[in-house]
Amino acid sequence: METLILWVLVLVFGGLFAWQVAVRVRLIRRAPGQLGVADPGMAVGRLLREVVFQSKVIAERPLVGLAHALVFWGFVAFAGYTSAEFLAGLGIVDLTGTAAFCFYSLALVPFALAVLAGITALLVRRVVFRPEALGKLSGESVVIGLFIATLMVTFLLDFRLAEESVAGRVNWWVHALVILVFLVLIPGSKHFHLLLSPITIALESPVLGQVRNLDFEKEEIGYETVAHLERKAVLDAFTCVECGRCQMNCPAYRTGKALNPKKLILDNEEALLAGKLDAPLKDIYDENVLWQCTTCGACEAQCPVGIEHLPLIINARRGLVSNGEAPDALGAMYNNLERRGNIWGLSQDQRQKFVAASGLETFDASRHEYLMWLGCAGSYDADFQKSLRSLFDLLRRLKVTFGVLEKERCTGDPAKRTGNEYVYQELANANIEEFRAAGVKKILTSCPHCVKTLGPDYRLLGFEAEVVHSSVLLSRLLPDRLPASDTVVLHDPCYLARYAGHVDEPRDLLRRVGATVREPERNRRNPFCCGAGGGLLFEEREEGQRISQTRFEQLQATGAPTIVTACPFCSIMLKGAQASSNATTQVVDITSYVEGRLKGTS
Amino acid sequence: MKIAVCLKQVPARDTQPRVNESKTWLREQDATFELNEPDAYALEEGFQLRERHGGEVVVCSAGPARVAQALREALARGADRAIHVEDDSLASADAFAVADALAAAIEGERFDLVLTGLQSDDQGFAQTGVVLAERLGIPHATIIMEVAVQGDRVRVKRELEGGWFQWVEMPLPALLTIQSGINQLRYATLKGIIAAKKKEIRKVTPAAVASRQRIVRLRAPEKTKQTQIIPGPAADAAKELVRRLRDEARAIE
Repeated sequence: METLILWVLVLVFGGLFAWQVAVRVRLIRRAPGQLGVADPGMAVGRLLREVVFQSKVIAERPLVGLAHALVFWGFVAFAGYTSAEFLAGLGIVDLTGTAAFCFYSLALVPFALAVLAGITALLVRRVVFRPEALGKLSGESVVIGLFIATLMVTFLLDFRLAEESVAGRVNWWVHALVILVFLVLIPGSKHFHLLLSPITIALESPVLGQVRNLDFEKEEIGYETVAHLERKAVLDAFTCVECGRCQMNCPAYRTGKALNPKKLILDNEEALLAGKLDAPLKDIYDENVLWQCTTCGACEAQCPVGIEHLPLIINARRGLVSNGEAPDALGAMYNNLERRGNIWGLSQDQRQKFVAASGLETFDASRHEYLMWLGCAGSYDADFQKSLRSLFDLLRRLKVTFGVLEKERCTGDPAKRTGNEYVYQELANANIEEFRAAGVKKILTSCPHCVKTLGPDYRLLGFEAEVVHSSVLLSRLLPDRLPASDTVVLHDPCYLARYAGHVDEPRDLLRRVGATVREPERNRRNPFCCGAGGGLLFEEREEGQRISQTRFEQLQATGAPTIVTACPFCSIMLKGAQASSNATTQVVDITSYVEGRLKGTS
Repeated sequence: MKIAVCLKQVPARDTQPRVNESKTWLREQDATFELNEPDAYALEEGFQLRERHGGEVVVCSAGPARVAQALREALARGADRAIHVEDDSLASADAFAVADALAAAIEGERFDLVLTGLQSDDQGFAQTGVVLAERLGIPHATIIMEVAVQGDRVRVKRELEGGWFQWVEMPLPALLTIQSGINQLRYATLKGIIAAKKKEIRKVTPAAVASRQRIVRLRAPEKTKQTQIIPGPAADAAKELVRRLRDEARAIE
């Protein structure tokens, strides 16, 4: 009789589960684009680190992460137990009487205690402390938390109760029913991540902020409606675990702007399930929030379940830009890029003057090791040119050979990040053609945005070169080691630290010239953005507090008299914040600082 | 409202100019070409008038085959169709010949308004629009800063010298030459570029092109540098310096 009832329940609840999963699988399958593992070795590594060892979960929130890890490891440990019990209950095969099962059950006791401890901690956090990251209290999550606790309690009680007693059977059925109801709740809740997150993590791009190029032949123009979301974006929407790590690391959200990366993902989920496939994305989320993203990449880098926010935001921007709906400031910048090939719309003559005044040679592959790429800031920003002059002096002293192109146009970074794919590809392809004609193999630049664009982005267009940031090259070559006699704080540029992973080189370089490096909050691989990226350099108005001001205050709080950074755009933003707050803390580019130290102390 | 915008394709600004064999023009094979900047503002003004009053914007250009590129760009930005008066000799023709060719091509269309840029960035005659208006037999105004169409009349703001402006009114149809910088240019969108592929460029062959002007010789201006030392006591020298800066170099007013 019990067997029959269990069969009916398993079929009903299993059916409800399968039906909900099928709805979501259909939505993924009908979406455009392909799912694929780009780098199997890396995917396996990620699965080990991020799923098995819960690295991202623990790294950001150690105690809470550990509580989650205990619950997760317990779940995995219990998989065999639950399967064996159901197989026995359904009368298929009964392994529960074997000595091995007995031993396995006993071995599960510490796991059960660990899960109980973990889930209690998580429930207390969710219900009592209610952190901002989790948003409104979710009743469903509380119910599921209590379910998990019940499962563990009933498992432990099972050791104390005779199997055939009434109490024993009731206990067994409570355990079984909780599992079945839990199963039905999984697909519709954040707990779908139990099943999806390993898949999403395996499918995540190996490169942060990798956004597929549009294929103009296929008349692709980016995301205009919900139906345009690609398969990975749809999978992301169903995987989101709503932990809010993206939200709490987002510089826009943290300075009081409307953008919340978590909300974008959940809005997608809601729209997909509501069948609003033809709804324009700008109606799903306020289009203004799309222009508040600095593309710093914190959301994507911190996400523990492999969600890619940047392709979503950039593709949604593309949909707007393709219809002429970019903000005015960007429209002007696009015209500058189209007509003059640089973000400020200045004439090549000005770059030429700097090249001549600095005594730079035209790149010749037979004589020069590096192509020195000046970038828009290096070509036109007088302040940053001082830093480049320092670099040229250092390179000459270190006997590094380098030359520049006769003419340069922007790498296309601001066009790429803001969704003007047409201008990006025009600029990028023209640059690649010149690199090939000149036989360029190694590129040196002081701009982290150029590092990202000339490197990983141009690779997608078939151009491969070694792209080095000047601070990295100097850290390799500079032999000097001065005694410590100055204190600075380093602001890690997002595109150097988070995107390219260079966090030790600039610190090492600073130490070599006798600087003690202080660390601000939000540093190394997870810096807080200066506010310039993603085309926001050109935005005049800013909702909430200025991102640059917030960052400047974080850096100032270290008490270091000097802020060192390694990106022309970080310099512009932080110097702006410094000027408007009348602070005595000075902001200096790393190359200028290094050369100044060498000159001042030698 | 039926609006024609006449465009010219000119050597791109960052081209390093080299004079041709006969020293009468640039070596075209070295140059890259772009849409003449003042014409881009005329085009944008056309779009804005279309947004306010409806109708269509037709772009016209007289020149060799390469000019189709500039027309395609204008179509991508939102022009409805294009007319290409194609002839190799138009590349170096004078304003009179170009205006003649354009007039013959657009006369039959009876445009309400014809717009051109104030002048071209290469030759800078600022004559094509004016001659074209004469050829079409319609009134014109030059150096336009603002355009207001009211019924069958148009009221325009002209730029004069020394910060002065002038308002002029005339009946439609009319021709206006547009000053650079009067509006915010729009950028080319992917939607526009895709749509432009399907838009029509009508080719017109002009009657014999007969220029009346001839470029005799083209040369790059020579850079010279002169240092003058003004002797005497500092106070007097300073006075003399100011006088020369004002009266001779005209660097200050």
